Amino acid sequence: MQITINNVVKRYAKVEAVKQLSFSVQQGEIFALLGPNGAGKSSLVRMLVGFTHPDEGEIQVQFNDQIHSAIPGEALGYLPEDRGLYAEKTLEQNLYYFAQLHGIDKKEATKRMDHWLEKFDLLDRKDQALKTLSKGNQQKVQLVNAVLHQPKFVILDEPFSGLDPINQEKVVVFLSELKQQGMTVILSAHQMSMVEKLADRMLLMNQGEAVLYGDLTQIQQQVGVGTQLTVEFSAEFNVQKLSLALNNFDFEALSNNKVIVNLVNTSQVNEALTQLMTLGHIDNLESKKMDLHQLYLKAISDHQGAIQDDAA
Amino acid sequence: MTQLNKTWLVAKWEFMHFFKLKQELIGKAVMLLIALMVFFWHNSQGFSTQKHKVAVISETSIMGEFELFEFNKASLSEAELKEQLNNEEIDAILVEQAMENSIATFKLYSLGKHSWQNDLINVLNTYYSAKVTQNLGLTQQQLNQIKNPVLISNHYLDTKVKSEDKNSSETAVGVLILIGLGIFVSFAQIFVSITGEKQQRVTEQLYACMDSQTWVDGKILGQMLLALKAMTSSLISIVLGFGFFQVILNGQTLDLSFIDWSLLPWFLLFSVLGLYLATAFMAAIAAAIDDPNHSGKTSFMMLPLVPMILTFMVMDSPSGLAMTVLSYFPLTAFAAMPVKMALIEVSVWQTLLAITSTVITCWYARRLAGKMFKMGMVMYGKEPGYKEMFKWAIS
Repeated sequence: MQITINNVVKRYAKVEAVKQLSFSVQQGEIFALLGPNGAGKSSLVRMLVGFTHPDEGEIQVQFNDQIHSAIPGEALGYLPEDRGLYAEKTLEQNLYYFAQLHGIDKKEATKRMDHWLEKFDLLDRKDQALKTLSKGNQQKVQLVNAVLHQPKFVILDEPFSGLDPINQEKVVVFLSELKQQGMTVILSAHQMSMVEKLADRMLLMNQGEAVLYGDLTQIQQQVGVGTQLTVEFSAEFNVQKLSLALNNFDFEALSNNKVIVNLVNTSQVNEALTQLMTLGHIDNLESKKMDLHQLYLKAISDHQGAIQDDAA
Repeated sequence: MTQLNKTWLVAKWEFMHFFKLKQELIGKAVMLLIALMVFFWHNSQGFSTQKHKVAVISETSIMGEFELFEFNKASLSEAELKEQLNNEEIDAILVEQAMENSIATFKLYSLGKHSWQNDLINVLNTYYSAKVTQNLGLTQQQLNQIKNPVLISNHYLDTKVKSEDKNSSETAVGVLILIGLGIFVSFAQIFVSITGEKQQRVTEQLYACMDSQTWVDGKILGQMLLALKAMTSSLISIVLGFGFFQVILNGQTLDLSFIDWSLLPWFLLFSVLGLYLATAFMAAIAAAIDDPNHSGKTSFMMLPLVPMILTFMVMDSPSGLAMTVLSYFPLTAFAAMPVKMALIEVSVWQTLLAITSTVITCWYARRLAGKMFKMGMVMYGKEPGYKEMFKWAIS
């Protein structure tokens, strides 16, 4: 483990932004922090980078054979949510200034800068003022700025925001390269398709609590849905028989001849189909794996419901 | 990379961010152009050998050549002379009137308003002053007695008060004005710099690279260098301007004897400390401002000018209680002590005490600015109230 978070609590006045949160991030993995706005992701990130400290619990970061209470500055590449660079300075001036602050000499900084700017099709614009670039291109420069000093840990808050699909794909390639270079990447994002492609593991937060945690398979198991079967019968089915037949499954009748059955994994498909065939002739059958977006929505919805039930 | 290296890097960035060589050169070129214009205008006036012709309608008045004027008794009527004036054959008509309260009275006709008219009045005053003196039978000495009947030389029982020939108030006032200029430059730029970085959202990235104290130290150093640059540049301009008027225009030797060179190193030390203190204080305030357009804290940034104003107010009484208090009080010593040193003899230990108190205050102001910046980061986009600022200041 490189980063361990143990029962961390963070309060702002009377608001508990992070509640008894525990998880770990492993060396060299891409770890995604997911959750709706106000879930506590930014509060968590600000504790990880050392801007604030937990009110309870502890954060342990392993670096250079030592344990730190936050990611040390020299090992950190950071793209904050609230970000920008010096608009009137050129790309080169901006990037070189930050590289120097991390102790990188000009020759090495130029080499790395050219490498990343070329990847983002910005090399020919490095002598231009940042303000002359589009918002998306400025975002790419900020991403380069976060990793120019080749940090051990990279924290990226919303790296895809403001980017078109082509540039989002470029960021996916960029993050994959960071992983290949052995960096540990923690990213917060709302673009589930991108996260699904990239993240080794993830943590879904809601209202300061951990809702889901693990890799995609583990997440599917935690939600209780991995595969979804949509079954259409040639005739109306008997609702009582349906309930009896699908007693072991989570299902939803869409009409009097159409039903959706949620399966934890594909190994349940045979059992479910056997039961369904007892209800009548199946006219149409669709099977699809639930994507992260759907899992996210279901998990948040379930968690909200549980909170409301507790309150009631 | 050491904290010191980072501080220097931030200071260099800060300096180069505001230092615009092109603008500096344009400014100096404009000054040179103005000097050249003044020079040529002055020379064209000085080398003009053509005298202004003045027709005088009088029986007894001034006649002949005086400085740039040629006074001729008029042989024509006033109307004919006005015709000549219209044709620019003469420059003016001087018509003597009846005396009013024994004062020679004239009407002066000219085509328009000219700069030489003041010179003409001076010539007439000089001429009639000499004439009156002669008529009264007075000597030049008697005339001087009438003009300056009292002459006072000051002698003080308090031996600390410097005699007027040793008084360095010009140097002290000059230094105070230069510090004021430096503070103004620093005020404007550190405000723009710190709140600008917040507006451009660079602060979080910077804070991820270095601690708040390193950042603030670099900012203060960079802004101080800019203020010192502005002060030096202004000083050079003033000395060159002074030299230009004294040497080139008036043909005198350059006289800088009004500067007390022996006190200058002390004054410069106080200037640097004062500038540091003011810049650190303003950095602390700017760091606590989130939105410069809506913050009520902006007005606090004028506070560093208060010591200068107080010193100006009490400098007439350099041995007084107010000046004594101000010259040791940590927040005002940088302004009051140099002025006191210029006006009265001050022991070295007193100077060192004032320096020590200022250095301690500078250190505290620097720490305060660092804390305020950190507070801004922790509070994450919310502008702190005075209560929070106080809490952080004493933490």
